[in-house]
Amino acid sequence: MCDVATVQKIANCLGVKPGKVQLNEEQVVTRTSAQNKTVAGFATILESLARESKSETAQNSTASREVQAQVYQWIEFAVLYVSPGSKDKHVAKQLLNDFNKLFINKSYLVGHFITLADLAVYYAIYDLVKSLSPLDKENYLNLSRWFDHLQQRPDIHQGEQLLNFTTIYLHNWAQGTHV
Amino acid sequence: MIIYTNEGNPLGLQLLMLAKFAKQKVQVQLVNLNDAKYKDLLVLPTIELDNGFRLFSAAAIAKYLLGDEEGQQRDEWLEWSSTLLAPALAHYMAVGHRADPNALPVLNTLVKKLNDRLKASPYLAGSQLTAADIAVWSLLAPDGTLKGAQNVEQLRSWYENIKALPEVQQVLSEQPLKELSFNALQQSNRYGGLHHVPLKRASLADAGNLLADAGSTLADTITDEEIAAARAAFIYTKPQEIAEPRTVLPKAGERNVLITSALPYVNNVPHLGNIIGCVLSADIFARYSRNAGYNTLLICGTDEYGTATENKALAENMTPREICDKYFELHNAIYRWFGIGFDYFGRTTTQEQTEIVQEAFKDVYNAGYIIKESVEQLLCQKCDRFLADRFVEGTCPHPGCGYEDARGDQCDKCGKLVNATELLRPRCKVCNSAPVLRSSDQLFLDLPKAEPQLREWVDRAENGWTHNARVITRAWLREGLKPRCITRDLKWGIPVPHENFEKKVFYVWFDAPFGYVSITKRYTKEYLQWWQPAKGTDVELFQFMAKDNVPFHSVVWPSVLLAINKGNTLVSHIMATEYLNYEDGKFSKSRGIGVFGNDAQETGIPADVWRFYLASARPEGQDSSFSWNDLAARNNSELLNNLGNFVNRALVFCEKNFNSTVPEIVLTQDELVLLSLINRELRGYINSLEKAKLRDGIRHLLAISRHGNGYMQTQQPWVLLKGNEEQKKRAATIIGLCANIACLLANLLFPYMPSTARTMFAQLNSKQTPLNAEKPLATILLPAGHKIGKPSPLFTKLEQSYIDELKGKFGGAQETKAPAAQQTNVAELEAAVQAQGEKVRQLKASTKDKAVWQPEVTKLLDLKKQLEAAQKSAASAAPAAVPAPQSGTQSVQQLEAAVQAQGEKVRQLKASTKDKAVWQPEVTKLLDLKKQLETAQKTAASAAPAAAAETASVDAGKIKALEEKIAQQGEKVRTLKASGDASVWKPEVDILLNLKKELTALTGVPAAGAAQGKNKKKK
Repeated sequence: MCDVATVQKIANCLGVKPGKVQLNEEQVVTRTSAQNKTVAGFATILESLARESKSETAQNSTASREVQAQVYQWIEFAVLYVSPGSKDKHVAKQLLNDFNKLFINKSYLVGHFITLADLAVYYAIYDLVKSLSPLDKENYLNLSRWFDHLQQRPDIHQGEQLLNFTTIYLHNWAQGTHV
Repeated sequence: MIIYTNEGNPLGLQLLMLAKFAKQKVQVQLVNLNDAKYKDLLVLPTIELDNGFRLFSAAAIAKYLLGDEEGQQRDEWLEWSSTLLAPALAHYMAVGHRADPNALPVLNTLVKKLNDRLKASPYLAGSQLTAADIAVWSLLAPDGTLKGAQNVEQLRSWYENIKALPEVQQVLSEQPLKELSFNALQQSNRYGGLHHVPLKRASLADAGNLLADAGSTLADTITDEEIAAARAAFIYTKPQEIAEPRTVLPKAGERNVLITSALPYVNNVPHLGNIIGCVLSADIFARYSRNAGYNTLLICGTDEYGTATENKALAENMTPREICDKYFELHNAIYRWFGIGFDYFGRTTTQEQTEIVQEAFKDVYNAGYIIKESVEQLLCQKCDRFLADRFVEGTCPHPGCGYEDARGDQCDKCGKLVNATELLRPRCKVCNSAPVLRSSDQLFLDLPKAEPQLREWVDRAENGWTHNARVITRAWLREGLKPRCITRDLKWGIPVPHENFEKKVFYVWFDAPFGYVSITKRYTKEYLQWWQPAKGTDVELFQFMAKDNVPFHSVVWPSVLLAINKGNTLVSHIMATEYLNYEDGKFSKSRGIGVFGNDAQETGIPADVWRFYLASARPEGQDSSFSWNDLAARNNSELLNNLGNFVNRALVFCEKNFNSTVPEIVLTQDELVLLSLINRELRGYINSLEKAKLRDGIRHLLAISRHGNGYMQTQQPWVLLKGNEEQKKRAATIIGLCANIACLLANLLFPYMPSTARTMFAQLNSKQTPLNAEKPLATILLPAGHKIGKPSPLFTKLEQSYIDELKGKFGGAQETKAPAAQQTNVAELEAAVQAQGEKVRQLKASTKDKAVWQPEVTKLLDLKKQLEAAQKSAASAAPAAVPAPQSGTQSVQQLEAAVQAQGEKVRQLKASTKDKAVWQPEVTKLLDLKKQLETAQKTAASAAPAAAAETASVDAGKIKALEEKIAQQGEKVRTLKASGDASVWKPEVDILLNLKKELTALTGVPAAGAAQGKNKKKK
């Protein structure tokens, strides 16, 4: 996950001007807003974006103290575990399993609406999901459902080509092994 | 509230403190993530509020519990602590293969930032204590990060202020700091702790050394009991002499260890794999066992009967007996050179062997375990004889294997046993014609009848076996045992004492294992004391072998002995090794690949170094590889720099400053900590060797000398010796202790490197002292006043050039390419690697099927290896290509730019991937560039005055601009050249040359790049 690009994308999602986003001398992402205020740290920036935004996602993310805390923990999870972990085969598998289990009875990570938590994890796990084979995507069905649902939103895919989750072709292609 | 955390998790402390400041009651529950009950927890610690709501991020919990304190600064510091500080600490504290040398500089930068911030403000987020302070404090407190840190006064006083707060004191009384360790984070989630979080290397200048180097953390873990034990044990008692009786016999009430090494077949020259697989391992263990005071007998010999010998005799026009005599001497000489101290090295072609085998046969026959059957045998009509198993080859009959070169007794690919007649498409190994089936009567060992007893025995005995021995034996038993033929139609063997079988001989299964017994009989007439011990005398039988020998020792021979039922000693410890490969391939005598026993002598590398290396590369648990580079590296870094350096420094100090007399030791806390650390390793050494884990033993031994080196380095006796009386006394203690550790090391090293250990004893003017396996604690071995001998260096360096020479010599034909040819190829190779890398990435992304991309990956790795070799030779040629002095300044600047660019590249690569294979070549490049830069700077410095006078008059800015252009153009040309097609890069080269001309006109000095390029081409 490139922090700078992700912050810009999420700012776009929230309908906030990203301002100047760059890495500081500690290699930590910073954002200088139009008001010339500088904020450092991915999660802290996302929180500040949410405060500036009037979008539905932002409002969902700040609905209550509980929601705010949960949103924050998922953003941190994305930074600490999802994006670095995706590069390791075993950790990546564990992450996919965990998220797949999580989405068995949930549509979104926090509460019943889309929040910044979903955005942060979505962009962090994007490359990993993209690398999955059709069969794997089907194995992680719940994760795939969540991901596919998010990627349909124009504010989220932002012009990128959508990943293919259709497995109907797979059935024709490999009937014998289809599970 | 409930805090779920795992034992020792340092982040749990933060939650306890937060709860205390938020005035919430908490209850801590220690959990294990592997526990199915807690499978829903992702990350520990997790907090569960009274309403059942769970949070696992400490920062999120802080924000939730202490929501009243708002502020961007607090939030930023909270995030900083969890995403930068915590991972850096986790990396820094990591041990073993996870240890990260890059963590300390990163951590220093972070600590400097904290200290700078606290210079400006009393707390991190301003004038008030906030959750941010709690978060950072709770990360710094466990494992004593700040212990020994320098120039962090502000941070330290902030730390002490917070520590003194009553809330913090209360928490610390409930949760003592010493129970916490960052290593516990490994178990805090299923993603490998914080290990996968890459360290963010700040682009700031180096923060300097603030924190004390690691090691202090290890010393912190020493308990008071360990200190007390170390103090109590460190006394002098006159060592009892190790009395070696002429003939070792087992004694009742003592530990009796009978050790055998698999009998090498006489007409093979043993290679390094054979040597470490059995004889050397057995010898090291036997030496340890004698040193620990056990009655130890080490037996080995050559296995001499069989068709292979007969054939060899025919080929060399000698009798089988003469062949055996000749090759026996060869084996004996090799083992003697390796310093293998057998109590008796015998052979199987003796009268004793014949008697013992024949008697055993009668016993087994009388017990009813022999059946007679007519067998179909393969007869080669061309050679006019029955073909022994090894003389038939064909396709493996086991389903799913189908290996085409399976031998008549065993398939090398699937490892299963094969009956020669079952081979598909059999062929005679000698003449390659197809043999025909003929029947003849043979005797069979009725293994199915012995199976129940065998199973019962295996269940009892297998605990002492190595893992692979257990697995192989279990696999055999699972498939069910079948009768095994024990006779053959041969002449060179032990005649079968049975009617109508006089012309047949025993097959190796019924012959060779009894060699252990008969060779013992050659050693002593009282051999039955070892092999059929009297009641009350326990003999432990350790058998060393490679894994292909396991079935004979775990199934066939025990079945025979159980059938005889005369109370024979059965194996209690099967010590089977995996295979040793040669530089990632197989040893092959025919192709001249690998080092064989007699070759080792010719290398000039001492036998002890071979022993040490082979033992430390012993294939325990999995196959390992012999590698020349590894041999050189271990010799140079472990023996020379670690062990040899420590011993030599200790003894030279003693000789020069204390008149070769061991001074008096007055133990202080530092010494006791050192002794406690050594005692830990000593216990590890004893535990490993008791289980014949020779590799681990070496690790512990080297750790002791590493502790010793560290101790000497921190105590600096050379400084103390110049000080006052008090300080001189300290120095005496240090040297006295180090001399004693050297003596301990000599004892521990003895099993591995006997002649080096003897040299050490001579230098110490001391003798071997018995190890106390019951109480492995360091004692005084050299009392004050002991005169030592003359110290001298123990090891010599192995130069890379020599190692390369040896590598070529033993690497077979395929590895002796002319280095000159490779050198020009660096650019080509780089391009090829890049292209191949791209291909692999695409393939991997597009398919999961390993079979598809694996060949491409192999290709890629090959290319990379070639590239590395080519770069190395290019680098060694570089000094010659150093620019002439007059072009010094230019090339320095160019090189600096190149170093910077390459450095950036490496940083990016490292940040983006963990895959060492990807960034390692770039790092090598960077290092090369740096080296070049250094040489260039040196030459430039000497040429500087002249150059400066010349260039002073011209416009410096213009020159610089030109230089930059040249550098860019050069880069462009290089990339283009790498991609090929001359028509494309030719014009760009012209531009480059023009630019250089311009620069030359401006400065009057020819541009460096051109000169360099030419030089390189000439090379």
